[in-house]
Amino acid sequence: MVVLEAKNIKKHFGGVVALSDGNLRCQRGRITGLLGANGSGKSTMSKIIAGVYRPDGGEVWYKGRVVHYRNPSEARKDGIALVFQNLSLVPDLTVWQNVVLGVEKNRGIFLDDREAKDLTRRILQDLSPDLDIYRKVYELSPGEMQIVEIAKAISEEPELLILDEPTAALEQAQVRNLFRYMRTLAGKGVAIIFTSHRLWEVMEICSDVTIFRNGATVACIDFDKEEKDPEKIVSHITGEPQRASSLEYMSEEGVYDEVLFRAEVKSMRSGERKLKEASFELRRGEILGIGGLAGQGQNELLYALAGSYPGVRCEVELEGRRMRLQRPQDAIQHGILLVPGDRQQEGLFLEHSVYNNMIFPKLGFPKHPLVIPERHYKDECESIVKLLSIKTPSVDVPVSALSGGNQQKVVVGKWLSFDVKVLLLADPAKGVDIGAKRDLYEYIVHLARKRGVGVVLYASDNEELVQYTDRLLVMYEGQIVATLNKGEISDDTITAVSMRVR
Amino acid sequence: MEVVKREKIFPVAFLRNVFLQPETSSLFMLFVLFAITAVLQKNFFEVKSIARNINSFAPLVLLAMGQAIVIISGGLDLSSGTALSLFTCVLTTVMKKGDPITGVYALVVTFLVAVGTGVVNGVGIGYLRIPPVIVTFATSYAWLGIALFLRPTPGGESVDWFKVFYNARAVEGFPDSVKLVGSYIPPALVLVLLGCLLWYVVSRTRTGRYIYAVGSNIESAYVSGIDTGKTQMFACILNAIFIFLAALFFVGQNQSGDARMGGPLTLKSIAAVVVGGIALTGGRGSVYLALVGALILGFVSKIIFFANIPNAYQTLTSGIIVIAAIAGPAYAALKREWR
Repeated sequence: MVVLEAKNIKKHFGGVVALSDGNLRCQRGRITGLLGANGSGKSTMSKIIAGVYRPDGGEVWYKGRVVHYRNPSEARKDGIALVFQNLSLVPDLTVWQNVVLGVEKNRGIFLDDREAKDLTRRILQDLSPDLDIYRKVYELSPGEMQIVEIAKAISEEPELLILDEPTAALEQAQVRNLFRYMRTLAGKGVAIIFTSHRLWEVMEICSDVTIFRNGATVACIDFDKEEKDPEKIVSHITGEPQRASSLEYMSEEGVYDEVLFRAEVKSMRSGERKLKEASFELRRGEILGIGGLAGQGQNELLYALAGSYPGVRCEVELEGRRMRLQRPQDAIQHGILLVPGDRQQEGLFLEHSVYNNMIFPKLGFPKHPLVIPERHYKDECESIVKLLSIKTPSVDVPVSALSGGNQQKVVVGKWLSFDVKVLLLADPAKGVDIGAKRDLYEYIVHLARKRGVGVVLYASDNEELVQYTDRLLVMYEGQIVATLNKGEISDDTITAVSMRVR
Repeated sequence: MEVVKREKIFPVAFLRNVFLQPETSSLFMLFVLFAITAVLQKNFFEVKSIARNINSFAPLVLLAMGQAIVIISGGLDLSSGTALSLFTCVLTTVMKKGDPITGVYALVVTFLVAVGTGVVNGVGIGYLRIPPVIVTFATSYAWLGIALFLRPTPGGESVDWFKVFYNARAVEGFPDSVKLVGSYIPPALVLVLLGCLLWYVVSRTRTGRYIYAVGSNIESAYVSGIDTGKTQMFACILNAIFIFLAALFFVGQNQSGDARMGGPLTLKSIAAVVVGGIALTGGRGSVYLALVGALILGFVSKIIFFANIPNAYQTLTSGIIVIAAIAGPAYAALKREWR
């Protein structure tokens, strides 16, 4: 039974067309995957259905009638729940307070807290039984926050549940729990819309997919009738004919035996749990992966290497010179450069132009001229934009106007005018679509192989580690517990090594 | 299947955790200052001097608690001191000495004025989304202007029974039993308890929860379906009611109104909130901590008075003690952030 059908939806923001011809159909008890590059209109579509935006054209049919929601609460009352990608949680309230936020029930004149706690426990029992409902949300990991967000949407027992990239912040075990729960919900007759940039997730959980490209629906594939062909789906998403990966230089050629970088990181605090100690060697031209379950100290290790994690002693040897990194400046001046995981918070000044973002790190150097050589920098900046094929109207537009993938390229690009020796990447492809992800990784491989840069890569998606790394360190509770060589790296072994330690 | 999972904590880790809470450091500070005052002030534990201390602390306590509510909701009130002055002027203008019923009129009129000031601040902060500092800076001058219009020089009239808010025994014609209770429970304490009760009730309702939610993250609160404008306005009105209670005490004490008495209390109330360990960024900390903060500031001035510090150094000394008091919660917050 069709619960929702959106036909010929149009939506533009100012002069930018977000949706030109969006079509979507959801059925009771089925999970519909929504695929597309960043900026292809799938998020806009979700938001129109949930009443966040109003369409400029087209019709939304819900349970047999045309609906026009003016705000999200109207849609919520009608049984449509949207789990936001940008979280809607309040950090200073506890888990259970957040789950019932906005729909609290009273008992007499006071709030009925016992009922709220029971409800929260009931929902979380299936999703994440270990989560303490009395914790404040700001203490949670991103994955746990995402789970609370989902619990909040489910607490209202929706008939149509829209999950906008819920798995981006989750670790594998949490994804399994979520999928199991989604299947239970679908079994009860809930229609679910699911978006993710990870193709295997969509292939595993969805019964059909709808693919968006440049604001229009380009394909609907029903997995009951057609076979699951990832290549075909990718070619729908990118709009390019199927092609083999052009990573011919992915072979180990170009990795030298010379040790470029040696690091010894040790926590100075005994109670420290996130990062205890780690030491490793990195060869010239090598891409060294860091894997493991989410939140085992991978990010902290990269931050420590960039000189920006307090309470940790970080001794390194770069090209034979020993030094101690205490501040970010130390690392930057020696060419140890970090691309942080949360680009919007830590990698970019969102309201500033591409140009400003790119030149900013230069200004802190002791020998920088008093007056900024604008002309020279502008040329340099434009050549980097061209080199990385960053899609932007000009270098003067604010980065916030760029799509996620292009924003990430700016973060990488701002280091390229430096003498890069070691590049530290913290989950660089998070929230980046398939096409842009491929561009980005091809460039990183190029940097390593052709310019002899040592790359340390942490990725939350094991597939990226399998595909792009030469050697892999697996971390558990702030320590390196295993090293895998090229031949041994596979999704199964990573998962096995990550979990076995328990 | 009811499984309540709470982390089991080692005593050591537990103690460290306790010491890193902002509450602990401000309570500890209060205890130290309390002890010092008790040593310096010879008759500290006599009924009379306890009552006197409570009387001198009460106005700031009330203002600080009101201020805390606004700050937790994500605002800031720079007009609370002048609002206090305004309320004393309104009270003493409506009242006519020797006509007891005018006291009731004054209570009603001033309460409405108080709610009005809260609504004005609340509309500016919550609905028009003007930065709170700007809104309340502007209204602080408005309140001062109206107060000066009503009472260009300190003075005015007050009915005799208004003394009940300061010293129940001073009122003529009250039954002896009431006077007896009044001699043991200072009216100022009753006003503070009234304020605490008011907040206790509100904090257990939706509005109380929403005040924290809005102050913590206004965007998230909005998408969760909370009326953020209404919530912030309600916080401002609650604040005004606390100021109203303080005004009752002042008029009870002085039997007159003064357009200029409240001004210096504004920043003191904000300082009390910070010293108590409530985050200026909103959403975090308990309103009762403002009470602790106000008491800390009160004891600081007591100590300086009794320690015979030369006049020239008094301000400097109190400044240093206040910095020390703020450093505690700030250090605890920093420590927690690093973990």
